[in-house]
Amino acid sequence: MTLDILHPFSITFMDMMNFATHIGLAHFLLLSAVLFAIGLFGLLTKRGIIPVLMCIELMLNAVNINLVAFNHYMPVDDYSGELMAIFAVAVAACEVAIGVALAFRIYRDRGTVNVDDLNSLKG
Amino acid sequence: MTDVLSFIHFIVNGVMDFLVSIGAPDLIMAGIFYLMAAVTVLSALGVVLMRNVVHSALMLTASFIGVGCLYIYMNASFMGAVQFLVYGGAVAVLIVMAIMLTRRPDMAHSNPSRGALHQLGAAIVAAVFCLVMLIVSMASPFRTEASHLGDEVKGIADLMLTEYVLPFEVAAVLLLIAMIGAIILAKGVSENDA
Amino acid sequence: MMMMNFAAITTEIGIVILMLVTLVMDLLLGRGKSRAPVAYVTAIGLCALLVYTFGLYHGDRSLTFFAQLFIVDNYAIFFKQVFIVGMIFTVLFSLDYARKCIHYQGEFYTLLLSALLGMCTLASANDFVTSFVGLELMTVSFYALVGFRMDPTGTATSGEAAVKYLIFGAASSAVMLYGISLVYGATGSLVFAAMSRNIHLYYAAGLVGAVMVIVGFFFKLSVIPFHMWAPDVYEGAPTPVTALLAMGSKAAGIAVLMRVMYTAFPFIGYYWLPLIAIFSAICMIFGNIMAIHQTDVKRMLAYSSIAQAGYMMAGMAVANAAGMKAVMFYAMLYVFANVGAFAVLCVVDTERGGTDRRDITGLAQASPILAAVMTVSLLSMAGIPPTAGFSGKLYIFTAVVDGGYLWLAVVGFVMSMISAYYYLLVAKAMYRDLAAGEEWRAEPIAVPMLAKITAAAAVIITLGIGIYPEILATMTNIASQTFMR
Repeated sequence: MTLDILHPFSITFMDMMNFATHIGLAHFLLLSAVLFAIGLFGLLTKRGIIPVLMCIELMLNAVNINLVAFNHYMPVDDYSGELMAIFAVAVAACEVAIGVALAFRIYRDRGTVNVDDLNSLKG
Repeated sequence: MTDVLSFIHFIVNGVMDFLVSIGAPDLIMAGIFYLMAAVTVLSALGVVLMRNVVHSALMLTASFIGVGCLYIYMNASFMGAVQFLVYGGAVAVLIVMAIMLTRRPDMAHSNPSRGALHQLGAAIVAAVFCLVMLIVSMASPFRTEASHLGDEVKGIADLMLTEYVLPFEVAAVLLLIAMIGAIILAKGVSENDA
Repeated sequence: MMMMNFAAITTEIGIVILMLVTLVMDLLLGRGKSRAPVAYVTAIGLCALLVYTFGLYHGDRSLTFFAQLFIVDNYAIFFKQVFIVGMIFTVLFSLDYARKCIHYQGEFYTLLLSALLGMCTLASANDFVTSFVGLELMTVSFYALVGFRMDPTGTATSGEAAVKYLIFGAASSAVMLYGISLVYGATGSLVFAAMSRNIHLYYAAGLVGAVMVIVGFFFKLSVIPFHMWAPDVYEGAPTPVTALLAMGSKAAGIAVLMRVMYTAFPFIGYYWLPLIAIFSAICMIFGNIMAIHQTDVKRMLAYSSIAQAGYMMAGMAVANAAGMKAVMFYAMLYVFANVGAFAVLCVVDTERGGTDRRDITGLAQASPILAAVMTVSLLSMAGIPPTAGFSGKLYIFTAVVDGGYLWLAVVGFVMSMISAYYYLLVAKAMYRDLAAGEEWRAEPIAVPMLAKITAAAAVIITLGIGIYPEILATMTNIASQTFMR
């Protein structure tokens, strides 16, 4: 079943209802895109180190949804997408650990955790 | 007694047949999906919009759990378990601990954002990304049938210990290094041994 | 049942063993003892590994670890040698720096080796899982290493640089992973070769995914629109770590980017080759122009390394054996030029507490050897004739012109001339006479013997390659015959 938006006039109301009630790959892709976009928005607007880390975690979660969904709806019997997602989880945990340690260190050195206040390196 | 039971059985079967005939299982599954998707997306929005960083962390955990439920929805229950344990457990605790260690006097405004113009720019970037991904996901084949119902854990383990054994080993080194790095960065140099 | 071929991963096993040895040695040495033995063991072990890797060069049958997923071809071996050489020199010239400015020296060497392990994994990776994990091992080690300076003068900038690196690095990993997931969704595989055979790579998802993967790599390589982190991180990081970021991490990024481009996305080259050429030109132009205004030498070298990445990408855009050969030749000689410059900066940073241009004034009087080393290394980066940089740029521009990108070669040539200007500004600061109202900083510098030997060796090799490039050219010829025939 293909929903072909390249021909917009071929979309009927029934097609749209069908799309809304039959959950498939596209729904998960859209969800993950929205989650990634929210993370991106936060990454660009947040000032604190810890909120920025949280937003990066949201982005990595979006990626994992993508990987698992692609794997689930893949026509072959293969789990490499989920495997990649598990490696992504491990890597994300490492990054958070280092990030939290750095936030703590910056707080101790400077008494602040805001990215904007870190401006001693400007040439 | 048997009559009553068979009557109930009859009624239940009839109702089930009726529900299946109007596509109710699909509707119910769709409803569950939308519920979990709403939890995930709304709490992700909460992470970005909350003014108190502790509330943001709570929302983040809710979002993690929503994502984990979505994995289980996709029959990836092992992935769901990993999600609950690592993200819902470890990462959430780490972040809350970091908030606690870098405590500020005024928690109510502990999660500041940049100016309105900056936010507008970021919103445009995010919206453009969503639009691109909307086109991409619509243009790719829209599949609704999952193909494999095999043993997920066995499938992953087979891959992890044969083809992808090398990244598995490298990931072990990665975890060790992250541990050493985090300990040293957080420990710093205390005054008496500097 | 397939067998795991452990002969293919001997280099990596060696590095892991060395890493664990340094970790245990650090524990056994006890508090307050010198950590120099750890550095010596690291350097000697790496030298042994370097000699061993020469034995891995082979004819036409490459070793693979398991089902083609980890391939030890001549290309990978050459890049591993680039990383190992850079690491050996860095460990040797930074011995004195580490003693004075790094508090946790034992762990410092452990993390250096783990970064090396990540780079070596990257050079051999033949699928996205291995390359992603290798890339993250390298960058996570660097996040920690950048923040490793904890003495009172350096701790603030070092921690700040580490935070910036972490945020940009993690965000770029997320973008790259998103791209990988789209490419996986389009092609159903994570293995480069299987990916390139799948026609669905041309679908929207595959193309957008490929673009996002490339953007992720551009972030790691600090290609110009994605470079904002690089100058701050280079300036704030401990000097030996800056050196490794400039040579190792960049060469590793180039190595894996070339493999991804040529083996995973070869048939969409029609789209990405002009793109690479354009970004290469942007890097050369803006990297060099922004470098002119920098007063901090480390920061200047950061911009200059962006420009150097531009030259290497110019060779990549040609996409034939000659271009690849030129890129690899350049990567190797850039290591030696960098070692020379950073060995000097390391000594200056240790002795005078900074790497600003005023910290190197009068260096020609304080230590003529260091001033000479710095000058030759910078001239090599600018590509002035008797040095290796000249032959490297000659190879690159010849390949670029033969590949039909005359305009790119012209841009590169003009920009090399401009770059000579700011390199010579540094030389001028070391040799010039006193301006009115200035004080000489000519108090003699105690240059550690090892740093002197290392720097001199790097300069001799730089001049040697410049005068007689055949040996390195032959090696790169062998290595470039791997997937470009």
